[in-house]
Amino acid sequence: MDAEDVDFSDFIASSIHDIKNSLNVQLGSLEMLADRCRQSGDTAIVERLAPMIYEANRMNGNLIQILSLYKLGKSIYPIDFSDQTVREVIEEVLLQSQSIMDAKGIGLSLDCADDCHWYFDRDLVAGVLINALNNAYHYTDDKIRVVAAIVGGFLEIRVEDNGAGYPESFLQANVSAAKGISFVSGSTGLGFYFSSRVAGLHRNGDRRGSVHIENGGAYGGGCFVLRLP
Amino acid sequence: MTNSLANSSALIIDDFHGMRTMLKDFVKAMGVKTIDSAANARDAISALRSKHYDIVLCDFNLGPGRNGLNILEEAKVRKYIGYSTIWVMITAEKSMAMFMGAAEIKPDDYLLKPFNGKMLEARLNRQIEKRRSLRPIEDAVAAQNYLDAISLCDEQLSRESRNTQDLLRIKSELLMTIGDLTAARALFEEVLALRSVPWAKTGLGKTYFLDHDLPRAKEIFQEVLSENRMYLEAADWLAKTLEELGDTVAAQQVLQNATSLSPNTAARQKTLGDIAFKNGAVDLAQEAYEAAIKHNEDSVLKNPDSYAGLAKVLIDKGAAGDAVKILDNCRQQFKEEPEALLQAAMIESSAYQKLGQPEKAALAVAEAEKLMAGMSGTAGARITIDMAKLQFQRGEKDKAMDLLGSVVKNNHEDAEILKQVSAVFSQEKLGEAGAAMINELTQEVVNVNNQGVRLASAGKFEEGSLLLREAIKTLPNNATLLTNLCGMLLGLMYKNGGGEQQTAEIRELLERVRKINPFNAKYQEYLKSLDRFESRQRGAVRADRE
Repeated sequence: MDAEDVDFSDFIASSIHDIKNSLNVQLGSLEMLADRCRQSGDTAIVERLAPMIYEANRMNGNLIQILSLYKLGKSIYPIDFSDQTVREVIEEVLLQSQSIMDAKGIGLSLDCADDCHWYFDRDLVAGVLINALNNAYHYTDDKIRVVAAIVGGFLEIRVEDNGAGYPESFLQANVSAAKGISFVSGSTGLGFYFSSRVAGLHRNGDRRGSVHIENGGAYGGGCFVLRLP
Repeated sequence: MTNSLANSSALIIDDFHGMRTMLKDFVKAMGVKTIDSAANARDAISALRSKHYDIVLCDFNLGPGRNGLNILEEAKVRKYIGYSTIWVMITAEKSMAMFMGAAEIKPDDYLLKPFNGKMLEARLNRQIEKRRSLRPIEDAVAAQNYLDAISLCDEQLSRESRNTQDLLRIKSELLMTIGDLTAARALFEEVLALRSVPWAKTGLGKTYFLDHDLPRAKEIFQEVLSENRMYLEAADWLAKTLEELGDTVAAQQVLQNATSLSPNTAARQKTLGDIAFKNGAVDLAQEAYEAAIKHNEDSVLKNPDSYAGLAKVLIDKGAAGDAVKILDNCRQQFKEEPEALLQAAMIESSAYQKLGQPEKAALAVAEAEKLMAGMSGTAGARITIDMAKLQFQRGEKDKAMDLLGSVVKNNHEDAEILKQVSAVFSQEKLGEAGAAMINELTQEVVNVNNQGVRLASAGKFEEGSLLLREAIKTLPNNATLLTNLCGMLLGLMYKNGGGEQQTAEIRELLERVRKINPFNAKYQEYLKSLDRFESRQRGAVRADRE
């Protein structure tokens, strides 16, 4: 096969897969190390490790998003819509970022009924929530709260922080123009593009999922809102 | 919660040393007592064979060779793991290969990397909790107490909402198992009223298929696929429906699409082979059978029908020599399965016939006859009819008639099978003689049956049941005799009372009827009657104790 015959995007995808494997091992080791230091009371090192874990998590999250979008584009993503216990899915996402939140002194809380069930792709939605939490981590003061409930036939998951909120220009651009918009200043817009793509894949009858951002919520800071039919 | 993980045993399967160490540390921190690990499929299988594990953490991608799903498949089919083992598949990314395997070979859960110990622990605890609550249902199913299992589902559905979808799904499967189409359809429709869920919609389609409303079934399966093209169970059913409707070309197309999405499903490849061969697409048929054989080569799921199909295609293509080789291989692989050996011997005789070696063909037939005799009436209708056709071809009219006679007697009320038998007779220009024979033999069975029924209606259940017990010895697959015997035994039990021995015999007979046809109306009735008897017994015992 000629070198020119190789689809470059396939090449990128397989490389990302490879990078992700290395990153997983790195991330696992960092978490273990942080755990051990925490047990031995070495808080200084734990504090130094936290941002490393955060960055590694962020990289990994981005890679997952790119890979998922690539696969969705090629129709080779095994979408698995199924009934989920909402609380469990969110708790798992929170567990994933617990250590970095703790290290930065951010209080995480969850408000979701035990018997709240909804129908969605667990991993795609978890990807959206991880992205939202990473943003909130950046912009919050010291609190983040995740709220999930059924509102008017939609599952609504909100990630609220007690930071200064989004600037007006952000709110105006909002969801509609996901492409090219910097969801977080300096970011690529990937996270928001991914989130709106995932939301849009979720349909029930003629209703579709959506994402948007707003200011307010229980803390009056930034809010990220995912709605699934 | 941690208590359930403490003192348990775990097997970790990962080709990557760093990952194994990390997983070991994770489960150690949860209090898991025994932790073994394996770096490849071979070591994993030998560990699973030698020891029971409560938890298996298995990487999906294990480098070249077999993947995590193949290991799970073998462990499940060989029963190295049972219901109590929790199998979590670990993967770096969600790939189609992991999700498109056979429906019955699914891990309990999968976990995407990266994850930490707390996430893993939460997942495992969730599985333990789920298992604990579904345990009584599983036990009832294992004991073939389907009605008990259904009422346990109802009980749990009214109490909790945690496993609602699982419970509804299990309940629908149970309703289909016992052939209660009306209740199953109501359940699917109830689920679908909220949302179009592929399992429920496919289930709804199945109820129409089984009700012979094929156009409606076709429409429903098509809808499932247009909403969710990855839900290939619907594709399999759509193909089946189209075939039943006589549109084998469309059925072939549906299966071709499905196999291109998920090439590693041997059962589907085999079905594609069958239908392509029917359509005269011999190259495609050959390809599909070969794929089916190759995929399951070292697996316990290998199916002799794929070998048989391939051999027939090869004979058709004028490569009878290759067919003989395939059949030799088939014999090697299925040494312990008389029906597979019988099928191989039959096809081999036609291969040698084609090759112009009548002596060898005769030897193959002799072997087939011996195998058939050894199965003493338990060979299925399809293979027995095939054997009869072969005997006709060889001019052995008497032998052929005997075989068809046994098919008739075992299935005297099954219109579909009787139709196939008379088709063979007409092909042999024996239409009239055949019809007479079918009548006579049917009458013979009917007489025995009527005699039994007369005894029973005179209250002579003992004599009646003795008569029918004797009759099913020579006609082990006759659903009418089996159900009537059940009815008499039930009558006896209601009259004289009965213990475990009686209920066990009835349950065994009912299970035989279910295997022949779960939609048999008497089967349904007697199953419920047995259930009533048993719950009355339980009530009586309870009253005694109080």
